[in-house]
Amino acid sequence: MLTRGYVYSREDGTKMANVENLNPEEIKIQGLLGRYLNAMTTAEQAINTGVNHLDEDTLSAFIEASLSEREARPIVRHLVDCTFCRHMTSELVRLDLAFADTVEVRVPIQEQEPAKISQVLNGILTRIFGTRDGAVFAHHEEDEGEEKKEDETSDSEKN
Amino acid sequence: MEDLLKKCDSQIDEIFARCLENAPNFGVRAECFKASLKKTATKYVVSDNSQPITEEELRAFFEQVQAEDLFMALACANGNERAWWEFDQQHRSYLERVARHLAKTEVDAQEVIDSVYVELYGTRVVDGERVSKFSTYSGRGSLRGWLRTVIWHSLVDLHRAGHDEVSLDEMTENIGEGAAHATFLHPAKGGEEEMVDQIARDRYRTATLQAIGTAFSTLDDHEKLILLYYHVENMKLREIARLVENEGSPLRGWFQRKTQTREKDPGSRIHESTVMRWLEKSYAKVLQLFRQELQGKHGLGEEEIAICFSIATEDLSGPNLYRHLSAT
Repeated sequence: MLTRGYVYSREDGTKMANVENLNPEEIKIQGLLGRYLNAMTTAEQAINTGVNHLDEDTLSAFIEASLSEREARPIVRHLVDCTFCRHMTSELVRLDLAFADTVEVRVPIQEQEPAKISQVLNGILTRIFGTRDGAVFAHHEEDEGEEKKEDETSDSEKN
Repeated sequence: MEDLLKKCDSQIDEIFARCLENAPNFGVRAECFKASLKKTATKYVVSDNSQPITEEELRAFFEQVQAEDLFMALACANGNERAWWEFDQQHRSYLERVARHLAKTEVDAQEVIDSVYVELYGTRVVDGERVSKFSTYSGRGSLRGWLRTVIWHSLVDLHRAGHDEVSLDEMTENIGEGAAHATFLHPAKGGEEEMVDQIARDRYRTATLQAIGTAFSTLDDHEKLILLYYHVENMKLREIARLVENEGSPLRGWFQRKTQTREKDPGSRIHESTVMRWLEKSYAKVLQLFRQELQGKHGLGEEEIAICFSIATEDLSGPNLYRHLSAT
């Protein structure tokens, strides 16, 4: 017989919080529901592989609560059904909380000659492709265009 | 709908002018910006045919868009050097901090940052045009929030690439907070369960399972989601509170309306206790629906309902009750 104050554990072993206001039947239903939802999720995971997931844009807007109720409605519905996206949102909330205490410092933009795209990215691409050839391969067409454009710009600036 | 969007042209022009004033060197053309904003509106509000949007709502929507972030993203997508330089100055250190927080090793963190930059720039060419990841950012949320999600996704992909057959559970156990929180239920190992169930007990088991399933399915999606976050994702009340603490949170608005309680200060923080109250209300509702189902559909009396509760309670210590789940 369960008494008031009995606390069921969640699947991860943590106690369910604050059940002071629940009567014994509600406490039982809390435990039953928890087990049911976990079992359902496991069953759904097996058949849920082909669904379209929410894109990063939608996920981040949802996490930030940028969406109106109207916009969020289909997303909430999706999150109820889609284990993968729901799990992503929970992880993103944790990540958001982890950075919540961090003061966001917007670095003032220094007024200096900006680096070329190739300069910003070349180092990265070199690391990834292993040689500078890779970087050249990835940027070849763009670089030529950019150089021409830049020449034109600097010419017109001089004029 | 095109007419409605056209009515907002002057507003979009004003937004564009503001962005251009702040970043005159980004080289974003007005028509490109306009097309992007309209794409955002179509994605989030206009495509919803169930409830036509009004001009006023659409105007409010455009005002909420993170226009300057979108302006920078468009410029970067177009390969504008000044925009890339500013993006790098403004966001690289943040990207690095997020990646280091999530990744297990410095090498993984660096690899993720590199691959995100490459993805943002875009090495794939479709119809002669380079496809930049920036073109998928809509401006509905902040650019930083979007970047955070891109990094998370990228880490998942990185982990997947190194593990042929990897479950979501295993995958997230190795990434960031998930290491401490990933707790999907593993299916019970077969073969060891007791095989002899009495017919009567089976009847009560089936009724219990169907009733709890029906009770849950009757809930509104918002209630379901909060319960799933709490029980399946093992989110702490503090974490759920974070999700709804923004004054404009649709979940918060929904619960406030449902409970018909307006906070004295709508801008105030949502505390764990508030989330717990929402959960308590949901449990009470589920209990009521559960009882109704057992009484109405299964014709059980109070004593039999008590047996159902007792079976459910007993079985909470083992997986027996749920082994029939796929059959229901």
